[in-house]
Amino acid sequence: MVDFVQNCFDGVMLGSSYALLAIGFTLIFGVMRRLNLSYGPSIMLGAFVGTLVFLEFRAGGLAVAAATVLGAVLVGIYVERLCFWAIRQGAAVASMVSSFAIWMQLEEIVTIAFPDRTYPFPPLTRAQPMDFGPFFFKVENLVMFGCAVALTLGLHLLLYRTRFGLRLRAVAESPDAARYMGINIAAVTFLAFACASAIGGVAGYLIVAQDGQITPLFGLWATFKGLIAMMLGGMGSIPGAILGGLLLGIVEAQSIWYLGTEFRDLCAYALLFLFLVFRPGGLFGHALAERERLALRRV
Amino acid sequence: MLALDGLSKHFGGVRAVDGLDLEVRQGEIFGLIGPNGSGKSTTVNLICGVFPVTTGEIRFEGRNITRAPPHVCLAAGIARTFQNIRLFGHLSVWQNLWVAQNAMADRKASGFLNRWFGGSARARQEVEALLEFAGVAAKADDLAGNLSFGEQRRLELARALAAKPSLLLLDEPAAGMNVEEVGQLRERLAKLRDDGMTILLVEHVMELVMGVTDRIAVLNFGQKIAEGTPEEIQNDPLVREAYLGAPQSAGGGNA
Repeated sequence: MVDFVQNCFDGVMLGSSYALLAIGFTLIFGVMRRLNLSYGPSIMLGAFVGTLVFLEFRAGGLAVAAATVLGAVLVGIYVERLCFWAIRQGAAVASMVSSFAIWMQLEEIVTIAFPDRTYPFPPLTRAQPMDFGPFFFKVENLVMFGCAVALTLGLHLLLYRTRFGLRLRAVAESPDAARYMGINIAAVTFLAFACASAIGGVAGYLIVAQDGQITPLFGLWATFKGLIAMMLGGMGSIPGAILGGLLLGIVEAQSIWYLGTEFRDLCAYALLFLFLVFRPGGLFGHALAERERLALRRV
Repeated sequence: MLALDGLSKHFGGVRAVDGLDLEVRQGEIFGLIGPNGSGKSTTVNLICGVFPVTTGEIRFEGRNITRAPPHVCLAAGIARTFQNIRLFGHLSVWQNLWVAQNAMADRKASGFLNRWFGGSARARQEVEALLEFAGVAAKADDLAGNLSFGEQRRLELARALAAKPSLLLLDEPAAGMNVEEVGQLRERLAKLRDDGMTILLVEHVMELVMGVTDRIAVLNFGQKIAEGTPEEIQNDPLVREAYLGAPQSAGGGNA
């Protein structure tokens, strides 16, 4: 029983990083109704910018974190301009396919610029795990969890307490009507993309700092985990992304403990499969949470 | 105020609008009628920049807005409603108006903080006045998607007004309304005209068109076949033949 509960705690910690990845994914999907497959790779490139700052200047944690987030945002904007803004008149699938092409391009760029493939990344902290009765927590996990909570709260305030958030929700609901109201759709989607990339950058930094190293494969990993967590929660729903991420984390933590590390991804995909068959809309269906009372607040 | 000059829109081989000349004068309600597919909605869409004009010119208050995108048309003072209601169903009634009211001001770079937070008390008062006008003040904090059909139509009209336009394009605002609601809409439009609004009304419901417009143009196959006062149009043999059908239905009913 203690093991099971400890696994759940570990799963929540692990899942909070998935939740952050999924929030970025779902924010882009919610506004544009388009999938950005190169979301993970743009975070990966951001992390390599962080590594560069670390190796070149021997910079500390905060500078590396800032460089990672900044890199992820810049690459994210590059992706938005090419795959979404440039073909905004085209079909959604055109954006998805071109975001896949940019994914390959980003991986190639990193492989050329960083030929050794695996690079060191400064750890968040060297503090010892903390004990709480029979349970123990790694400090970096707690930081990860705290960041996830803080960013989620911040995003919530942005969406439901500001006029920008109101416009963003209007665009997400009916781009056509928004256009005739004079809402600057290009600006709204651009800012939404930048926000999503920044959240992804923070998530990427926390995950890579925990791993202590970065490889070009991180892009693939981040896209997969974010995508699965988003699908579990329901595409376009932010509460769904959080719950989907936590659920994925808990299932992975349990399967690592009871079945072994090699079963981790197998169980994740099995979970996704079960959801697609039995609950294709995800935990939150389609943005059910937006019917919440607080969504009606006058900003 | 609004002048269309030889306006044409061709979709492939189809001439949706074909050499249309039209002039809407300041302060009038101008009706645009015609059978289904005669190019009425296309004309509205061309005026507010939905898709590019094939040939011809659109002038608004002396400005050429032929190729202006929607937000430029709106900034010039042209707002619209839709044939199919397109409210933000997951936003509240109040938020629908608030978004529309702020959107244009928010395009400007000034007042950055003001745009993101708060906004002026005057802007809030304007929204309250629009809620009253549309008769939805009691439901201000309800989801727009939960309103009744008639309420949604009224809210959409109010949302178009929120941008403070000088010309209002209404695309079949009475579609699906009952007799009582049509009567109320008629009063609302008359009140708007009294307050100085210019309205281009595309409509099938004859009671509304004949009862509230100052002048009417009739389209058929993208071309104007008649123009005049409601009386003149009702007695025009060409119009009866093309659109109103049997003479007994000319005065009322839903053609």
